[in-house]
Amino acid sequence: MTALEPGLAGEAGLRGLLAGFGRDGSGDGPVTTVSVPVTDLDAVVRGVAAHPGARLADVFASASSPADDGGQVTLRLVWALDADRGYLITESLVEGEAYPSLSEIAPAAFAEECEIYEQFGIRPAGEKLLNRVALPPGAGPDWPRLGRAPADQPADVHAPHHVGGHAFEFPFGPVRQVAVESLYYGLVTSGEELVDLYLFTWHKHRGVEWRLRGMTPGEALFYVERTEGLGAVGNTWAFAAAAEEALGLEPPPQAMATRAIALELERLYNHAAATAALCQSTGLVIGQAAAEIALERLLRLNAAAFGHRYLFGVVDIGGTRADLDAAALRSDLPGAYGELERAAEALLSTNSFLDRLEATGILAGDAARRLGLVGPVARATGLAIDARADHPAWPYGEFRPSVAEQDAGDVLARFRVMLAEAAESVRLIGEIGRAAVGPGLAFPPGAGPGQPHGSGLGWAESSRGESLAWVALDEGGRITRARLRPAAVRNWRGFDDACRSQNVFTDIPIIEASFWLTAAGTAR
Amino acid sequence: MPLWTLRGLRRGIVTTRYPARPDPSAALLPTPPAFRPDVLTPGLADRLVAVCPSRALARDGNLLVFDVGACTACGRCRAAAPEATASSGEFELAATAREHLIKRIPLGGSTR
Amino acid sequence: MTTQGTSDQAVADRSEELRRTVARLFGRSLHIRTLDTGSCASCEQEIRLLAAPHYDLQRLGFFFTPAPRHADLLMVTGPMVAAFENAARKTYDAIPDPKVVVATGACALGGVYQPDAFTRGGVAGTLPVDVWIPGCPPSPLALLQGLLVAVGRLADKVQDLDFARNGTPR
Repeated sequence: MTALEPGLAGEAGLRGLLAGFGRDGSGDGPVTTVSVPVTDLDAVVRGVAAHPGARLADVFASASSPADDGGQVTLRLVWALDADRGYLITESLVEGEAYPSLSEIAPAAFAEECEIYEQFGIRPAGEKLLNRVALPPGAGPDWPRLGRAPADQPADVHAPHHVGGHAFEFPFGPVRQVAVESLYYGLVTSGEELVDLYLFTWHKHRGVEWRLRGMTPGEALFYVERTEGLGAVGNTWAFAAAAEEALGLEPPPQAMATRAIALELERLYNHAAATAALCQSTGLVIGQAAAEIALERLLRLNAAAFGHRYLFGVVDIGGTRADLDAAALRSDLPGAYGELERAAEALLSTNSFLDRLEATGILAGDAARRLGLVGPVARATGLAIDARADHPAWPYGEFRPSVAEQDAGDVLARFRVMLAEAAESVRLIGEIGRAAVGPGLAFPPGAGPGQPHGSGLGWAESSRGESLAWVALDEGGRITRARLRPAAVRNWRGFDDACRSQNVFTDIPIIEASFWLTAAGTAR
Repeated sequence: MPLWTLRGLRRGIVTTRYPARPDPSAALLPTPPAFRPDVLTPGLADRLVAVCPSRALARDGNLLVFDVGACTACGRCRAAAPEATASSGEFELAATAREHLIKRIPLGGSTR
Repeated sequence: MTTQGTSDQAVADRSEELRRTVARLFGRSLHIRTLDTGSCASCEQEIRLLAAPHYDLQRLGFFFTPAPRHADLLMVTGPMVAAFENAARKTYDAIPDPKVVVATGACALGGVYQPDAFTRGGVAGTLPVDVWIPGCPPSPLALLQGLLVAVGRLADKVQDLDFARNGTPR
């Protein structure tokens, strides 16, 4: 860990750090952690935010002691320096109740500032009202938190736009249509047209980060998998990578190849499921049926290849836990993907379907950057970020995926990105599969983790985008702090922007299908 | 839309015949474990109880109490004691009473 | 017979009567409402596939409905997150009698999450459950079996399984 000299912060020191960042031989690997005094944080944030290709990927806090005895809180900012192939973590000790406002410089950080206030009782300087985002309304001072309770209750979310004249505000959900997750929207409308939309996710909050404290990474994996079941591989990969960094473990290459195959299979079935949801939302029942046939065949392929339809139980700390049935994969993948390919071809020739997608749910290019969006949602606006290309772990460094990109930022653009990614996933599975693939662990099961304790950052490009995790372990190898940041945490904040751009009610399910996020991934 | 009609007709029917006929895809599904009483010792049973992340296993004296309802078929108990467990192969697990899912397996193994 | 035994018998009789009522009213056709009390989303994906071509629950007389007033059966997933309990009860109350509640998946059955401030650790403490379907997630085939058991068209087979195996593996 490099310490940033207080006197150099924001200027020469920061520039020097960023200039040498991520270059081979810098010695710190792809993740550099820098200690920044909280008084210099504002200048550092401005400096890094101005660096080309820098993206604020996450903001979170940890308490040195869990009690409310005024223990010190460490604020961490995780910056993805996509152009430099590295991550920069700044750590600042917050001793009072306030720290410099981040959302003035990086608007994407507002949701995290709110969450940190609810969990740790520290807030950005200024009078800005903070919203309730993570914990439910009944969460009083005795509610289990990661730190101490806030002095004041956060405010309930309200529409940022003025509600007046003919516009009115009404809640929708959390119990919604058939077989979709519970999710609560606040809608502001003047009739048909959507003026505003905001989301609550606290009714699905299971307190996963709180739950993981005291567990070994191996024990925690069971819960990380079930935080967002449709992103099990991506999220457990990020978490395992973080734990491995903290433990000083390096999974064998064949296990990394196995992980990559599972991750691409996860991407494939999610994109097929999104296609089915798009057809359902536009009322194209026959297209939905065709996509569902593809989806079912892909899920059966997962079961044949790895023993579970949703690929639970593949990733393990130090490697992989499930054997890949390569023969089943080779024999079943072409047919399963063929179903999706043919369905997509027919859909792209069905004008009545395309008409519903085009110019619906438009996200402007700068919105993706401003809000720190990731994944297909970002790539459809022309922001070509992809953790497999920007922060490659083996085997992606060798088998380089081409990054799918579109410009229009509408539902159709997101659909096209997903289809291109599906084709690329099939190619990657074929190529990686031909390389050495097999199970393997960095240490034999039952032998326990490695000796060193510390902290680590892990990441993976899940089907929804970059999934991040950070863990800190004590001397006994048990978790003192686990931070999970699935892609959904980032991308839901783009959803209201997309819905607001001259859309009507019936467009909401279409836009939601094109984002293909989960409430579970953000509520966690 | 002749495009879709032709596609559909060519595709044919994929619908399962279940429950009239068994579905071969069921063979791919992960299923809860079955336990071998003749191999299970109290020590082994305790190891299994400790390794289950979903609290589906408990020991009651000379019985291993297995809650099929809490089981996620994660396979950790199978990996911890492959000689004492097997795959049950059962996926038709719906119960009309919660107790129907609580199984008591006697510990018959000798402590050698 | 003690008072305890009598009430056990009465409960068993009422259960049997309910089962016969359910089989008569719902045996051929019923409408399903789903309720997510905090799942990881994979149970929902398997439930969605019940209407997909490979499974087509409609051929068995089952239909999904978004309208609670129209529903006969409530399919509940998730560990009953405490903050959701009110919404869960309201959804249950909005469905007219007679109705059947099916707890779906390991979380709803009390696995995965222990009861604490965040979750109730299963749905049975909040809603009266009639049928329990294990799985993580339960596959569409398991869900079909569960629905058929709920309307009395398939037997509760698991009660006779002992999950004990001697001798050579299967």
